[in-house]
Amino acid sequence: MSIFFLLLQQELLLTAIIFVLLFVKLSTKQWNSQTVLSFVNILLVVNLAAGFFFKEKGTLFGDMFQTNDLLRFEKNILNLGTLLISLQAYNWLLKHKHAIEFYLLMLSTLLGMFFMLSSSNLLMFYVGLELASIPLAALANFDLDKKRSSEAAMKYIMSSAFASGLLLFGISLIYGMVGSVNFTDIAVAASENPLFLFGFILLIAGFGFKISAVPFHLWTADVYEGAPVAVTSYLSVISKGSMLFVMTSVLSTVFANLLFQWYNIVAVLAVLSMIVGNLFAIRQQNIKRFLAFSSISQVGFILIGMSGANIESHSSVVYFVLVYLFSNLAAFAVINVISEASGKENIDDYKGLYKTNPALTWVLAIALFSLAGIPPTAGFFGKFFLLLGGASKGNYLLIIVAALNMVISLYYYLRIIKAMFMDANETPVEKLAISWSPKISMAVCMAGIVVTGIISGAYEYIYSLLK
Amino acid sequence: MLELFFLQSNPASTVAKAVNDSSNYFPIGIQILFAVGFVAVMMVLTHLLGPKRPTAQKLENFESGIEIHGNARQPMAVKYFLVAILFVLFDVEVIFFYPYAVNFKELGWSGFVAVLMFVGFFLCGFYYIIKKGALTWED
Amino acid sequence: MEITQILFWFLSVLAVFGALMMVTSKNPVYSVLWLIVVFFAISGHYILLNAQFLAIVNIIVYAGAIMVLFLFVIMLMNLNAETEPQKNKWLKIAGVVAGCSLMLVFVAALRQSDELLKAPVSMGGETGLIKTLGKTLFTDYVLPFEISSVLFLSAMVGAVVIGKKGD
Repeated sequence: MSIFFLLLQQELLLTAIIFVLLFVKLSTKQWNSQTVLSFVNILLVVNLAAGFFFKEKGTLFGDMFQTNDLLRFEKNILNLGTLLISLQAYNWLLKHKHAIEFYLLMLSTLLGMFFMLSSSNLLMFYVGLELASIPLAALANFDLDKKRSSEAAMKYIMSSAFASGLLLFGISLIYGMVGSVNFTDIAVAASENPLFLFGFILLIAGFGFKISAVPFHLWTADVYEGAPVAVTSYLSVISKGSMLFVMTSVLSTVFANLLFQWYNIVAVLAVLSMIVGNLFAIRQQNIKRFLAFSSISQVGFILIGMSGANIESHSSVVYFVLVYLFSNLAAFAVINVISEASGKENIDDYKGLYKTNPALTWVLAIALFSLAGIPPTAGFFGKFFLLLGGASKGNYLLIIVAALNMVISLYYYLRIIKAMFMDANETPVEKLAISWSPKISMAVCMAGIVVTGIISGAYEYIYSLLK
Repeated sequence: MLELFFLQSNPASTVAKAVNDSSNYFPIGIQILFAVGFVAVMMVLTHLLGPKRPTAQKLENFESGIEIHGNARQPMAVKYFLVAILFVLFDVEVIFFYPYAVNFKELGWSGFVAVLMFVGFFLCGFYYIIKKGALTWED
Repeated sequence: MEITQILFWFLSVLAVFGALMMVTSKNPVYSVLWLIVVFFAISGHYILLNAQFLAIVNIIVYAGAIMVLFLFVIMLMNLNAETEPQKNKWLKIAGVVAGCSLMLVFVAALRQSDELLKAPVSMGGETGLIKTLGKTLFTDYVLPFEISSVLFLSAMVGAVVIGKKGD
């Protein structure tokens, strides 16, 4: 019985937090919103810290649920990201009348992602995926009086339902051919049977939607632009990251027999994502749309790493998601502060930011350097390991395309940095006082970018978890 | 085919059939067919047999003698939808009770705990709904 | 032809016809009604496969409750003829091409899979019965079952947050 609690520790703790928050909401006493938000953040810190204390691995409920060191580490990454987003959203939530519901929905999706990561069964995976995506639509609508926000939610739920339909059709075809939804059975029975392959391709389409790889990316920019900044960062880091973890491990373990087939698919997705993401990112005016397309091109790089299909490339994907989390969340922290204070979200508004807010400018600049992959930031090492993992297959054309795309991406990241440092602006963003919670979040992100980059231990630790 | 028609009268032929075989639904199918067929035939017949002398005034929509004005397609208040979606959620909850009720004895305490947790989650949600006044009808 | 085969073909034709009518109807309310026809045809298929519980659930939840929701959504929107968006012609052509290619791939995949022919569909079998389903659901699949209740809880919270005016 005790092993049950130890194995399910992260999920049970999260469920407990959800219920504590629900009871806080339902209690007759009217809590001060500052107290409640501080309380929630303390709970999230406890949640994150507790994840590091347990090492048990094993399976539960027959073969429904599995956990091991790597899965625990991946869940800790997601926990950390959620905590950082929560800190960034602090000021926005103080004014919001549904602050606790925000956490209820966000933590439910996090719970869904945990079960999705730990699933060893396609049905379990599907239920986790639904729990991870349906409440996100409600979250995208959280700027309740803005039409754009509703539009984002509508677009998200529609395309998400369509992707779920494709995924479910793929699962049903696979179940029809194998007679089981269990990962180990599927791994044994995976064959080049056309109908099985068809189901498998539909499954990849479902994955591709969630990580917004081209050509499944069409929802991304509109949803990112319309949703509140905190939700956008959650979508682009946590939701995407969890799906990347699952996709990497499912492709390299369950469908290892079909490596030849999926290698080509993943390579094409990678090239398309990098090129389309980069070309569209150049012409964006809104900074949230810009980051949406930049995240699409980052997914292209991650897919290159994924295509390596060995332990090195698997750990490079996990490592890059960690780096991407710090870099992207640092950028979103700055955007959140500026958008919250002035409502400005256009790239032109960032001109001359250095004159008024040097600290914010440096944070955003370092984050963008890391996203562009300039040494000595962590982003450079992340991309380096990804390309190294992808190169193990000997497909140098892929690596050349990736290198060219890195140059293009350098151009538009530097364009923003130039705008902030050099360009003059008649009406710059005025000097902003930053409160403690975004400050902590930015400090953690900066430390993450520097530490995971300079100290090589992070990658080696992930590698040791996989061995 | 004939065998199925004499299902009731010939007990010897039903011995081989399992209780839960879907061929048992055949009489129900025939009944539905008759019900739908009867309605369809009646509607078609009245159309064909009844005399029709349409005038402009006869073809007007009848609204208790009041003249029609405006458009019927007005957007509806979202509160109807809220009640409908909550209904669907609880409808699905009840659906899950059927398989449990059939296996009530065999599943024993572990099944009971599973269902209790399931209902517990729903009750929390229900309490939330009541507390937020989502079901109180306001204008 | 056996009676099962006749029923199978009848239900299949009904389902495909209903689906086509649903997509091509100009009036969204007709689309919903045709969708109900499709659901009934699918329920008939479930009964042929001896999955009676699924057949009934399909009618109660989908044809009953969810279609009512669809009608509500149609009434929520202002669907007068003038406000109807006109779709791009090229988009339509692209859609037709994409759909036909998908159909082609699917048919080709089906033709090459001879395993399917080895296991003919039968009316018997205990898998789809409510008793078997309940046993599996509450023993092997108890974890997804509990997670689905969390999903319902968050769906309730989300619906109330979005749909309820005031605080």
